[in-house]
Amino acid sequence: MKKFTRIAIANRGEVAVRIIKACEEMGIETVLLHSEADINTRAYRMATKTICVGPAATAESYLNIPANINGALAGGAQAVHPGFGFLSENADFAEAVNKAGLTFIGPSPEAIRALGDKVHCKELAKQAGLPLVPGYQGENQDVAHLIMQAEKIGYPVIVKAAAGGGGRGMKLLKSSAEAHELIESAQREAQSAFGSPKVFLEKYLDRAKHIEFQVFGDSTGNVQHFFDRECSVQRRHQKIIEEATSPSLTDDLRRRMGEAACAIATMGKYKGAGTVEFLLQDGEFYLLEVNTRLQVEHPVTEEVLGVDLVKMQILTAQGDFVHDNKQIRAPKGHSIECRIYAENPFMGGVPSTGLLGHVEWPEGPGRRYEYGFDSGDTITPYYDPMIAKVIVWDENRPRAIQKMIRVLKDSVVFGVHTNIPYLIEILSHKEFVMGTMTTRFIETYFSESLKEPALTEIEKTVAAGALLQLRGGAGETAKASASPWGSYWRGI
Amino acid sequence: MEVKVRIDGVDHKAQAQLIAGTLWVHYNGRVFTQDATTGRKSRKKGGAGGSSDQIVAPMPGKVTKLLLAPGAAVAAGQAVLVMEAMKMEYTLKAEIAGTIDSVNCAVGEQVVLGKALVKIKPASDK
Repeated sequence: MKKFTRIAIANRGEVAVRIIKACEEMGIETVLLHSEADINTRAYRMATKTICVGPAATAESYLNIPANINGALAGGAQAVHPGFGFLSENADFAEAVNKAGLTFIGPSPEAIRALGDKVHCKELAKQAGLPLVPGYQGENQDVAHLIMQAEKIGYPVIVKAAAGGGGRGMKLLKSSAEAHELIESAQREAQSAFGSPKVFLEKYLDRAKHIEFQVFGDSTGNVQHFFDRECSVQRRHQKIIEEATSPSLTDDLRRRMGEAACAIATMGKYKGAGTVEFLLQDGEFYLLEVNTRLQVEHPVTEEVLGVDLVKMQILTAQGDFVHDNKQIRAPKGHSIECRIYAENPFMGGVPSTGLLGHVEWPEGPGRRYEYGFDSGDTITPYYDPMIAKVIVWDENRPRAIQKMIRVLKDSVVFGVHTNIPYLIEILSHKEFVMGTMTTRFIETYFSESLKEPALTEIEKTVAAGALLQLRGGAGETAKASASPWGSYWRGI
Repeated sequence: MEVKVRIDGVDHKAQAQLIAGTLWVHYNGRVFTQDATTGRKSRKKGGAGGSSDQIVAPMPGKVTKLLLAPGAAVAAGQAVLVMEAMKMEYTLKAEIAGTIDSVNCAVGEQVVLGKALVKIKPASDK
């Protein structure tokens, strides 16, 4: 059995902070492997040591295997936690970490190759007799060949990056007319985000729900599932809102899907945290993919089960974690997570970058925040737009939804626009409230840019009064007639 | 900072901050911005701006593909170039029909928010 005293983190933002917090609680020091663009972010300030692994461009820093290995060794770490995204599902990286005498906190390179590569995973699932979505997973990546395969499958067809997820490298093809441009775009995005342009094709199920199971293989190879999450609310194939457990499963479906999830993870000799994703349509479920890493939405599972998946990952990598079946209890209450993206919801979700001003995440029972930036930090255009996650827990789903709306309204982010108004609209939508949403929910109800409501007279007056006070004018009073903007109010 | 504004004898609490000429306000569960000099809705951040005969960078990012060269005919709604920001690709389209007059960016170039990337000569000017 190993005992880590220092762990390197090959990641950034809120997940790096999450890992640092878990390490701190376990008395383990941290080495943050960061890019030049991420100097003086929250994780940078929190880590025991920081080592710059390259410039802002991901290919030269967060995706640079030798630089990350050298950084981990130079920082005196015994293990590397890859977080999610970047190199987290890269078997070559896991292998290089192990070859360098370090421990990769995650599954073995073999397990990543078997399950993490979406194409290999489907082959394994086929052997296991799991239901699969029809598609093409061949080696021939020629665009013309891929278009031919798409026609064979029948439109609509979805193109996906073989080496990753998170919506990057994913495009929906509705006809051959647009296929060439979209496939090339998917290949470029896949190359840029995951270091490999390889894509595969799948029939697009248009009434499906996205249901996933958290699986965990302990140090002895015993795989258990930690129940389900629903992530049907997606925009541009990126999850926005996730919850545990799914409101869409019967006990029988939950049992069968859980067994299927454990079966494929066991076949892949899985150790550590992983997620088996399914599509559910008309009562039938199909294996989508296996994510061989910690998932962005892991907190909702932690909230309903009272576990700490990151600590479990670290203990497993130390050879120190064995499932206690008596400890795996039924989920309690309901948890929802909202991803906070730096984007302008009133301009079609265009990214918003710049210096963060005042930021406030109000504390309270059943509220949890995971964030990677503080006031004064800069949101750069180089990386994923997710700047924070807001997680709530409550006794049941309706109460959790109401709590989330309240928490989002209480949260303050100045300096960059966020998708908070968009999230509030979604959470208030009857389809979401009823739990009947599918992966086409956003496309169906929120395809247009959100319309920014006009300011009320009170809001204009508050703004005018605030400006006076910020400029050192009037103390604590402002009247409409005294506003420097009076002439504009009538015209706005 | 927290501000308190009295309107008709009632105090209204808000958070407010001035950042680079823009007033940011959080009041009654909503964040909104205004241009601190005019009091109008701020359009400076994250917006494309520009006129319809120009394609302007809607965000800072990298130009990854130019789909049309100067002199090429373009239809309204046609894709003209592709940008990448925050690991996602964004296809920028022409708002009007016409001819590509000039391209003021190159593939691989990192451009700033608001930069005029492509100028279109409207069809009616032919």
